[in-house]
Amino acid sequence: MKVLIVNNMAPFVWGGAEELAVNLQKNLIIAGHQSEILRIPFQWEPATRIPSQMLMVRAFELANADHVIALKFPAFYIRHPNKTLWLLHQYRQAYDLYDAGQTNLPPDQTGADIRSLIRNADNETFAESRRIFTNSEVTRQRLAKYNGFDATVLLPPINDAELFVGKATGDYIFAGGRINGMKRQNMLLEALSRADSRVKLIIAGPPDVFADGEQLKETVARLGLEDRVKLDIRFLPRDTYAEYLTNAAAVAYLPFDEDSLGYVAMEAATAGKALITTSDSGGILGLVKHRETGWVADPTPEALAEAMNAVYADIAVTRAYGSSARALWHSFNIDWPNTVETLLR
Amino acid sequence: MKIALCSSFVPFLNSGARYIVEWLEIMLVKEGHQVERVYLPEVDVPDLLFQQMAAFRWIDLSAADRVICFRPQAHLISHPHKILWFIHHLRSFYDLWDNDQYRGFPDDTKHRGLRKALHEADTSAIQEATRVFSNSRVVSDRLKQFNGVESEVLYPPVLHPERFYCHGYNDEIVCVCRLEHHKRQHLLIEAMQYTRTPVRLRLCGLSSGQDYPAYLKRLIEELNVGEKVALEERWISEQEKVEYLANCLAAAYLPVDEDSYGYPSIEASHASKALITTPDAGGVLELVQDGVNGFVAEATPKDLAAAMDKLFADKNMAARMGRNALNRIDEMNISWSHVLRRLLA
Repeated sequence: MKVLIVNNMAPFVWGGAEELAVNLQKNLIIAGHQSEILRIPFQWEPATRIPSQMLMVRAFELANADHVIALKFPAFYIRHPNKTLWLLHQYRQAYDLYDAGQTNLPPDQTGADIRSLIRNADNETFAESRRIFTNSEVTRQRLAKYNGFDATVLLPPINDAELFVGKATGDYIFAGGRINGMKRQNMLLEALSRADSRVKLIIAGPPDVFADGEQLKETVARLGLEDRVKLDIRFLPRDTYAEYLTNAAAVAYLPFDEDSLGYVAMEAATAGKALITTSDSGGILGLVKHRETGWVADPTPEALAEAMNAVYADIAVTRAYGSSARALWHSFNIDWPNTVETLLR
Repeated sequence: MKIALCSSFVPFLNSGARYIVEWLEIMLVKEGHQVERVYLPEVDVPDLLFQQMAAFRWIDLSAADRVICFRPQAHLISHPHKILWFIHHLRSFYDLWDNDQYRGFPDDTKHRGLRKALHEADTSAIQEATRVFSNSRVVSDRLKQFNGVESEVLYPPVLHPERFYCHGYNDEIVCVCRLEHHKRQHLLIEAMQYTRTPVRLRLCGLSSGQDYPAYLKRLIEELNVGEKVALEERWISEQEKVEYLANCLAAAYLPVDEDSYGYPSIEASHASKALITTPDAGGVLELVQDGVNGFVAEATPKDLAAAMDKLFADKNMAARMGRNALNRIDEMNISWSHVLRRLLA
């Protein structure tokens, strides 16, 4: 089957949605389909030009595709009789961010008009779609709340599962992923200073802004943790990242109220690593069950220090939690072959 | 520099129109530019033409420092620094209008009206461009004739031409291109019944359908030329192509009235091989000079056979013509350094 993935393009910007589209394409091809990605440029500033951007997508004619999988506003307006949506998010500035007062739509009648235009057009395209999937529970709930459409959550699988085969159980806890305030790596350092001296930590990943990395360095110096912490602050090659993860004793990931399971947690579970998270981490809790697949601590340095100590208390138990994390993850059946099949259903 | 390369495409269809874009992309990235490739769908149906043109008009690529537009109707994209590397018009409304078979719709008031509006829209969009390049003399002539616009011919090079080389001159005439009726491989097969030397023929390529390759196979059988004709109905690897061209006696390429010289022609020239073509091959004649770097034979089996025999009988001449073919590429300034210099000027 010829499956065309339709996504937006913010010219010269490459991010998670682009990666997801590429991996979806790759896996459609593995499943025996032909697949290509259509990326439609979208410019949302000034907001008064959004209607023309919507019309633009609607005016394109598509030929020679059997099935379309569309990911985003306004690319999902593309007309095709066989269109499935895998909604990453809507134009949030016309929905929840509008309600929160964080919108680029003008604060007058024009803004209100654009907002209802977007809602009406969205409803029309949701109605004409064959099926709607969302990439997270939050997206599903927003869609139900604002547009009244039901959708099925279809979590994006991890992209290179083959890299995440568990290796040694090392003597360190690994904290990977983007470094910023919301991911709370700094709290992990505070916790480490309260934990047993045998607990070691590797924090590795790209800082959102330069200061995020600098702050971690300062905390390490202030708490005198140089001997027990390795900071590798940069965008890591995938295999370097996988090497850290697959040789760790456990993986810590404590974002604040994340939408989805999170790639870091999914990759850790794939590698059979016990997980440490906090009770307010949101979607991650779907994978971290206290004293089954890891430890769910209160979001305080003291409670986290206790969880970190537990990793070393009985390494056989830690390994068993890791195996349970892997089993739980596998029970979700979130892999590319299933995802591709579901999307084409 | 941030450069957007804009073209139209038909999903899942590979054609030379993609090579010119994607090879330029590779060369620009190598030069350190940021490149975004924008492929947009377009369906050539008269009634749907103007809504699609509106869509192209709404594209906002202001994030790019300049845009380079290729296949129609990408030239309608609006940008303060727009460069056209024009490869053809919507030909049924231009040079093919007078041909009832190719036009595909009636020559009536409605379509004449559409043609007039299209010509006007095209002309003003082309006039917006900072610079207008074409891929051949033929296309430049049409731009002048129909739109009154002067353009500079910028011959598209092949990717990594340095991989082609000459290893000698065996007994084979090779023709590496898609197996299609308008590429006229059947004429070459028919020629083989009239050859008087042990010259051989090799045809390599895939077809968009099954009829023409089946016809070619039947023809080989009926004419009983199977002993001296090799037909490889597949997409040969680039390495195989390099080897065939390195060792062959000469190459043949006889498309019906093609706009440009065609990649098969310059690949053969890079391998220092003479080219056999016909007076009705279109752009190929911008490259091939009869008796200098190949033969322009009448499009009849007997004349083609005579050209093949001449090359076989005098391999010194074949070698001399081959060297001329390589020189001809320099003479016509077919190189990436020239292309980049002109496009980035």
